[in-house]
Amino acid sequence: MNAITKKILLVDDNQLFLKMLSQAFKKSGFDCITAESGVEALRILKTNIPDAVLSDYEMPGMNGMQFRQELLADAALKDIPFIFLTHISDNELMVIGLGLQAVDYVLKDTPVNVIVSKLNNIIYTVQKQHEISKNELKKAAEALNVRSIPQTVPLISGFEIDFWHQPYQDIPGGDFIDFIQADERHTFIVLGDIMGKKWMAWFFTFSFLSYVRAAVRFGVLSGDYSVASILHKVNEVICLDDVLKDTLSSLSLVMIDTETQQISYSGAGDLPLLYYNDQKATTKQISSDGLLLGLFPDGKFSEQQINLENNDRLFIFTDGMTDLSAGSGKKSDYNLFTNNLNPLLKYGHNFESLKHELFESSANLRVDDCSIIQIRKTT
Amino acid sequence: MIRIIKDTPGHLLIEIEASEANLDNSDLFKTQVTELLDRHNKNIVIDFNRVEYIDSSFLGALVAILKYAMAHKLEVILTAMRKDVHDLLMLIRLDKVFKIYGDYEQAAAAL
Repeated sequence: MNAITKKILLVDDNQLFLKMLSQAFKKSGFDCITAESGVEALRILKTNIPDAVLSDYEMPGMNGMQFRQELLADAALKDIPFIFLTHISDNELMVIGLGLQAVDYVLKDTPVNVIVSKLNNIIYTVQKQHEISKNELKKAAEALNVRSIPQTVPLISGFEIDFWHQPYQDIPGGDFIDFIQADERHTFIVLGDIMGKKWMAWFFTFSFLSYVRAAVRFGVLSGDYSVASILHKVNEVICLDDVLKDTLSSLSLVMIDTETQQISYSGAGDLPLLYYNDQKATTKQISSDGLLLGLFPDGKFSEQQINLENNDRLFIFTDGMTDLSAGSGKKSDYNLFTNNLNPLLKYGHNFESLKHELFESSANLRVDDCSIIQIRKTT
Repeated sequence: MIRIIKDTPGHLLIEIEASEANLDNSDLFKTQVTELLDRHNKNIVIDFNRVEYIDSSFLGALVAILKYAMAHKLEVILTAMRKDVHDLLMLIRLDKVFKIYGDYEQAAAAL
């Protein structure tokens, strides 16, 4: 279970009551935002989504009912649990309010600690329900044997492959990984990131993966091993697919040829790969040219060869590895990630150690799905 | 989510009001900007000066807006980006897709 602070929006024109209630909620561990009117609350909700809204009924200008109606008309806000706070114990009003899908009523003369407990229970119930639905989906996915992340790594002569994946808030998301051993000589390594998070992105991963797998197989069958050509085919189909045409994804496609011991790489809107030269103990970014999949029919994909010497490593990763919570906000910092990785590589930490020392240690700072693949040359 | 700063005959200048442009507000942003494109039928300059962090969901919304605008023969120009945000767009080659300018004056001159 994650220990994310619950956020509540309190709306009341009585400043004193607002202050008292806000202090009580903060004392109980809530992150509390306050608004003195429905209009102010709507302004706050444009940039800040709470776990629940507790609103007074009687307010000058826009009253609680009107405020509730505004929220119901907005797809992004209508499902936030809403509780009316009032000193009116009028049954008729309560019926109207509950008709507006208010989760509950709380009378203002209720002791503050009871109000806090009530809110806590409501948020817990909603989250619990969410958890149950999530587990049902997970079970269904497992039963269907659909996975966007493999369970094992391929064995490739002359190379060692490792990967680490952590879904954001333990909900499957838009990152996907695949290892396709096309024939005895060629293995394709796929790392993609659908733009979006959680379930919505996760559902699309299977469509993208299917197209990538098909393009690789058709390519190999026709003797086309070019990773840029494969990306081009995948992109063309996605741009024509009515369901996927508004869904974008980054993709890194790497092919290892065991005969030549060479790696070829093409990328679509992906983060630069990181190449570690063991002899020189230096890291270098390897950037590709291609645009995000699904953006334009001509994705401008190019291809490059990467030669690893013994013990050199190549890292392929998604933006979850470089995006972190920082102080009051979040930041995206590719260089910080490489600067943290560099010293560990210099001291020869293996992938298992990198996981413990770096990837898993900042779990509470993660803001997105995290995926990283390491390719190490072993001969 | 957004605020109209300037409405000229040729374009609208809008500002993103959130400091974190992410999954929570990306759909709302897409809806609001698409509505502006429909209602005004003008090019749009988006001011990013308040945005400190942008995630992939929001970038997806931004690209969807660009594609929508292009289908209507309109332009979407990005301006006043902080270095971190601009660096990220460059890393994933979105600087090749969007016109990005340092400030509004440069953006307006390019339209």
